[in-house]
Amino acid sequence: MKQKNPVWTLLAVLLVASLALAACASPTATTVPPVDTEEPDETEPVVGDFDCTGVTAGDSVSMLYQWSGEEEAKLTAILQPWMEACGVTVNPESTRDQALLDTRVQAGTPPDVAFWNVPQLTQYKDQLVDMNTLGANAANYAGYWGDIGTIDGTWLGLPVKADPKTLIWYSPANFDAAGYTVPSTWAELDALVEQMVSDGNVPWSMGFESGDATGWTGTDFIQDILLVTQGPDYVNQIIAGEIAYNDAGVKEAYEIYGKWAMDPAYTVAGAEGTLSTGFNDAILKVFSDTPEAYMVKQSGFASGTLLGTYPDKVYGVDYDFFGVPGAQGLQGGSDWLMVFNDTPAVRSLIKYLSSDKGGEMWATIGFDLSPNAKGNQSYTSEEAAKKADLLANATGFTPDIGDSIPGGFGSAEFSGITDYVNGGDLDAILNTIADAQADAMVQ
Amino acid sequence: MAKAVTASVMKQKKGVPWLYLLPAIIVMTIFILYPMLNTVNLSFGNANGTASAATTCREGQPCWGIFENYRYALTNELNTTTIATTWESFWVSSYGNMIKWLLVMVTGSVGIGLIFAVMVDRIKQEALAKSIIFMPMAISFVGAGVIWKFVYNYGTSQVQTGILNAIITGLGFQPVSWLTGSPLNTFMLVVVGVWMWTGFCMTLLSSAIKSIPEEIIEASRIDGATNFEIFAKIQVPIIAPTIIVVITTMVINVLKLFDIVYVMTGGNYGTNVIATRMYTEMYTNAHYGRGTAIAVILILLIVPFIVMNIRRFTKQEAMR
Amino acid sequence: MTTAALSKPLPKKRSPRKPSNLGTSIGIAIILILWLVPTFGLLVTSFRPVALINTTGWWTALDVDNGPVSAQHPDPNAPYMEKLGTRFTIDNYVDALTGYRGTSTYRAACASDTKPLGMNCNITDLLNPRGMGRAFVNSVIVTVPSTIFPIFIALFAAYAFAWMDFKGRYAIFAILVGLQVVPIQMTLVPVLRMFAGLGMNGTFPAVWLFHTGFGLPYAIYMLRNSMSSLPKDLFESAYLDGANHWQVFSRIVLPLTMPAIASLAIFQFLWVWNDLLVSLVFLGGSKPVMTYQISNMVSSLGAGWHLLTAAAFLSMLLPMIVFFALQKYFVRGMMAGAVKG
Repeated sequence: MKQKNPVWTLLAVLLVASLALAACASPTATTVPPVDTEEPDETEPVVGDFDCTGVTAGDSVSMLYQWSGEEEAKLTAILQPWMEACGVTVNPESTRDQALLDTRVQAGTPPDVAFWNVPQLTQYKDQLVDMNTLGANAANYAGYWGDIGTIDGTWLGLPVKADPKTLIWYSPANFDAAGYTVPSTWAELDALVEQMVSDGNVPWSMGFESGDATGWTGTDFIQDILLVTQGPDYVNQIIAGEIAYNDAGVKEAYEIYGKWAMDPAYTVAGAEGTLSTGFNDAILKVFSDTPEAYMVKQSGFASGTLLGTYPDKVYGVDYDFFGVPGAQGLQGGSDWLMVFNDTPAVRSLIKYLSSDKGGEMWATIGFDLSPNAKGNQSYTSEEAAKKADLLANATGFTPDIGDSIPGGFGSAEFSGITDYVNGGDLDAILNTIADAQADAMVQ
Repeated sequence: MAKAVTASVMKQKKGVPWLYLLPAIIVMTIFILYPMLNTVNLSFGNANGTASAATTCREGQPCWGIFENYRYALTNELNTTTIATTWESFWVSSYGNMIKWLLVMVTGSVGIGLIFAVMVDRIKQEALAKSIIFMPMAISFVGAGVIWKFVYNYGTSQVQTGILNAIITGLGFQPVSWLTGSPLNTFMLVVVGVWMWTGFCMTLLSSAIKSIPEEIIEASRIDGATNFEIFAKIQVPIIAPTIIVVITTMVINVLKLFDIVYVMTGGNYGTNVIATRMYTEMYTNAHYGRGTAIAVILILLIVPFIVMNIRRFTKQEAMR
Repeated sequence: MTTAALSKPLPKKRSPRKPSNLGTSIGIAIILILWLVPTFGLLVTSFRPVALINTTGWWTALDVDNGPVSAQHPDPNAPYMEKLGTRFTIDNYVDALTGYRGTSTYRAACASDTKPLGMNCNITDLLNPRGMGRAFVNSVIVTVPSTIFPIFIALFAAYAFAWMDFKGRYAIFAILVGLQVVPIQMTLVPVLRMFAGLGMNGTFPAVWLFHTGFGLPYAIYMLRNSMSSLPKDLFESAYLDGANHWQVFSRIVLPLTMPAIASLAIFQFLWVWNDLLVSLVFLGGSKPVMTYQISNMVSSLGAGWHLLTAAAFLSMLLPMIVFFALQKYFVRGMMAGAVKG
């Protein structure tokens, strides 16, 4: 009995302390508030390159995005000039958990804006605000961006970041040492691969492993092969459900891919290596001190990954890339800004990002590529400029098939290719995925 | 029977029990019961809850009307072309995996927890030993995912960064990709689960063992019983109610298990469990109808265990 | 359990340890090693620079000559200890504590005059909104009430189920046990809607209430089991002495269920401390908790996960302290002397 008292006292103290701290704790603004010493009043409508019409200093915009770490730092740097000019603070939240965005939207408390993926434009189309109402400048974006961002005739998404995937990374130093040259047609690429194999080298490094999205590097590769063999219109028709996934063209692409992905002569450790290597590790294998392969097909972020582990590598000497030869158009990942609440501060954000200044800032900071065409001349690194060129000259741009078809298609595609590399029956697998595709169209 | 039960509890003024119960009932109704009813309701709808599930039927495919989501939840993972394929696909479906998890993880964590609790009761550094077993619970699932990445990692070059493959290659064999080969991968994940949850079982069982009065143990030692006999014939029977509680709790935890699978394989390579499947349907595929149907099935799976527990309580009270 | 054995008053002392035989000690040692090795691997990894983590196994940490060229000591003939010094680093911990987000390390960035965005390169960076310092405080504010409230409410309810007689006690209890299995994702949207309607979004009480509601089923289940296993004679003597429910509850039952309460406190503390989704949904990113900061150390492409190794250990410290502190409730002899005559 006596023993109880100090315990209860301690508990009571802890409880009261927590409650007190909670009451006194002020919310942590994780961005630097603008230095604004004047009394809060309406900001000037136009401050330099920024259109701040209707914004009151101290307004805030709540944001939700998937970027964290260094990516978040880049976004903050891009938004900084706008925040200072218009006197807006940003309340950001960062999570890769789709559940959070979904819950907030369903419960009626969405963030003001969200930076998310293409399927969410369709998923939340009833809650999003038309970009035209918000004053976005459509002229700065190529036609295909508008196509992707328009759902049921309304322009709902502003593309802010693009990362082409149709690239093959290699080490010029290793190529030179072995006497290989960069291919410019698909036939040349095929011949180069055969050449490497007969020299006793392993051409490809592949890695599927990626948590619950395991397999996406494989489906990306399939889509790039389709861009070569069939073209972007074919891909877009698959996305629209007009061409079934078990079409002959798709099967051919899988067979081309399978020949490389499952054979230890063509890719590091064959099927097992493909399945169990992490997608980041696959990149590293081409550039390690004793490289295990000569090429890896990967998106633009690959350079960031390899510099993380091998910071001494030099672009152009130790690592470089070329577009998948023969691809008619590019496949790429893209991030989209979508708006749930129409406020003056949000409008000024939209106007900023779609303006010339916005495009330039994005390219200067170097947060991947900016779909905003005005950024094309502002890239600070040779590598980014080369990617931007590829994007600017692309005759078509297709988003990821798996990202674009709603419902269970994406995960069916990932499990499908994983099963295929694991030795499954291709026809059965393609039928299953086509089934998921048909199913998605009906829901 | 009824007389015996009521004799063991005291009669009291009407309404006193409700005084004790009301806060709990109110809170749980708001936070769990109401959402659960909402969930059941959604399980009869389509992807975003705007229409009945019957509208999602496709031509030429079997259709269960408003139970369409349940049909999907129960049969989608099965390949029903032949008996053999059905059997095979069942064992890598989320239901088959649940059976594997239940059998191995519950026996593993409760068994090891019990044996360890009994053994450590006798040594001096008990608190330290218990803390070591308990520590994995304190590491969040994200941390555990990283830890076991360093155990299971599969390296394709000469160098291995995962210790299990390092041991295997050290012995001269080829490295194994632990997490991609079914059905081994499910058991590798179960190992992680046992590693994390044994501390939980051990803590509860240890406190139960300590509540056995000292005299009984001493008396039997004097009578010449060995440690094993004391364990099997005295300790286990006395703490049997606690063991059953621990088993029930572990069954519930395993049924709900999500994080370990999600963090390590995402449910791929045939490691899917019910909770990861529910998550994938709800958030990745944005299909509320199917996600909630899976959740309802999960809730229904626990019913037999509840019935068993209630029966046991009734018997227990009759004996008091 | 005989009343005869219980009615002998015993002096309250710690029981003497049984002689442990060699077999037991070896068995315990093996289990302990198996349990420790994975965590130990992470501990070693958290002190290694990222270039080495990806390319060499942690058990080779003391081998100074393996790994990529860029991670080697510049002078191949340097003495072993000097080389060893370059193979370990506290940068992972420093970066985790300050919330550094760039591509190199906090110390390198500060030393090179390019101050990382939002940082001051002095001691105040420990309170950086992206670091672990502030998140630690928020985590404590979330966790302590979320542990105390459910246990408090559950104690009363468990006593009612265990020792009171009323209509429907089994039915209500059955529903309770069943509610344990409702997956948390199912409850988020309706509850969030309700909080939004009450204007409680983003506040600490919202999280406390949710954790209380969610923790109750299991708490009641466990406490009821512990309470109902107390011997009937305790209660009979008390009732004979004229005690009412409140007195029995507060003076007899509570002290005797301390081990169960302690176990429950540990588990609830742990679960809330390590939770991410609930805090994110109801509290938001403006009041980050430790799990949120940890999740943000890794970019969407997986860069920066070496910081996770350090962060995981930092966030493990307090729960382990709690576990140790509550160990003293797991002692024998609580029952002795409880029944007199």
